[in-house]
Amino acid sequence: MSLGDELRYLRAFHGGGNMQDIEDEMGLERGTLRYMEQRYRRVGEDDDVLAKIADYYGVSLEKLQWHRERYRKALSAYLHRAMEEETSVRLDLRTGETMAGRVRWWDLGAFGLELEEGEPLTVVQRHAVLDWEGAGQIEGGDQP
Amino acid sequence: MPQDLRTLRKQKRVSVNKLSSRSGISIATLIQYEKGEREIPPADLGRLARVLYVDEWDINPRSSPPPTPERKSREALPSRPEGKPKGRKKPRPQSPPARNTQIAHLLTLAKRFGIDRPALEEEIGKSLDDLTREEARHWNGHFMRRVAEERPPRRAIDRKRAYLPEGVDGFELAYLQKQQEAGAPVHFTLFDGRTFEGAVVGFSPYHIVIREPGGDELTLNKLAIAYYRKAGDASGGAA
Repeated sequence: MSLGDELRYLRAFHGGGNMQDIEDEMGLERGTLRYMEQRYRRVGEDDDVLAKIADYYGVSLEKLQWHRERYRKALSAYLHRAMEEETSVRLDLRTGETMAGRVRWWDLGAFGLELEEGEPLTVVQRHAVLDWEGAGQIEGGDQP
Repeated sequence: MPQDLRTLRKQKRVSVNKLSSRSGISIATLIQYEKGEREIPPADLGRLARVLYVDEWDINPRSSPPPTPERKSREALPSRPEGKPKGRKKPRPQSPPARNTQIAHLLTLAKRFGIDRPALEEEIGKSLDDLTREEARHWNGHFMRRVAEERPPRRAIDRKRAYLPEGVDGFELAYLQKQQEAGAPVHFTLFDGRTFEGAVVGFSPYHIVIREPGGDELTLNKLAIAYYRKAGDASGGAA
């Protein structure tokens, strides 16, 4: 799960407050949080900013750093490559489940996974993917 | 009694420009409405009524055409002064000499076909220094057409998907559309492990509305959904 998705979750679980108000409370520049929640590329390079966010939401800095490595475009690259090469993907979901199958399509918010050959698709929300094979090690993962 | 849109707008002292920006209806469309060229559809009637602070039925859906200003009759116009021959065209002014940029462009184009300056002058039939602006335009056009004709035809793009699917959510929406049309139940699993099942009755980029077997409608926030599939299908690889 990307840092942006994790931050969206944390905000939702903390009452889904207004982004600008939260930024003020965190002591961040206006737009910082919005940028981090919305970007598809790797974000959150500044550990000082991450530390403030971690402190506000009561999570560890390491946890946010871990999500930073799993940015959305890296997942896109993984899905895209698997689809092109017709290989199977293996994904750990936030529900605690692990799913494996062939990617049939992917887009902005979800991807269609064929768990068994010829079976109807399971539509997995991208933000539900916690981890995947090779996450954090993909080179050139920002451009599928 | 309903009034024409133009009358109401004038009464409210709202410009067409402002009415357009407030209602979201283009200026061109508003002008057509005001002139009575088009009938105002109910959706736009509502928008206009809200902006003008009136009820929808206060606006006449089909405005009466505005009065046209009376034209002066031909007889009233002063007669053409005598002496000038009627229908005789003004002599065309001599075209000025070609611009340097036109000549340079012409030489560049000709070079693409392996034609150098002397050969080009021979083809044109005069020196480039004597070329007029109009002639230069003609010859530039001639070579541009030749370039266009000789350009290889563009390869038909057979792209099955958007270049960057992150920019669109068309696949998921198409899937949901299909399920909605089929009316078949879909099984949803949320992050917290809860599951719901029902036919898709509506969706947006952020929500999916389902009708449960009992008839209750439920709005699921996509942020809370982990995955979904047609009901009755095996959970397969999920462990």
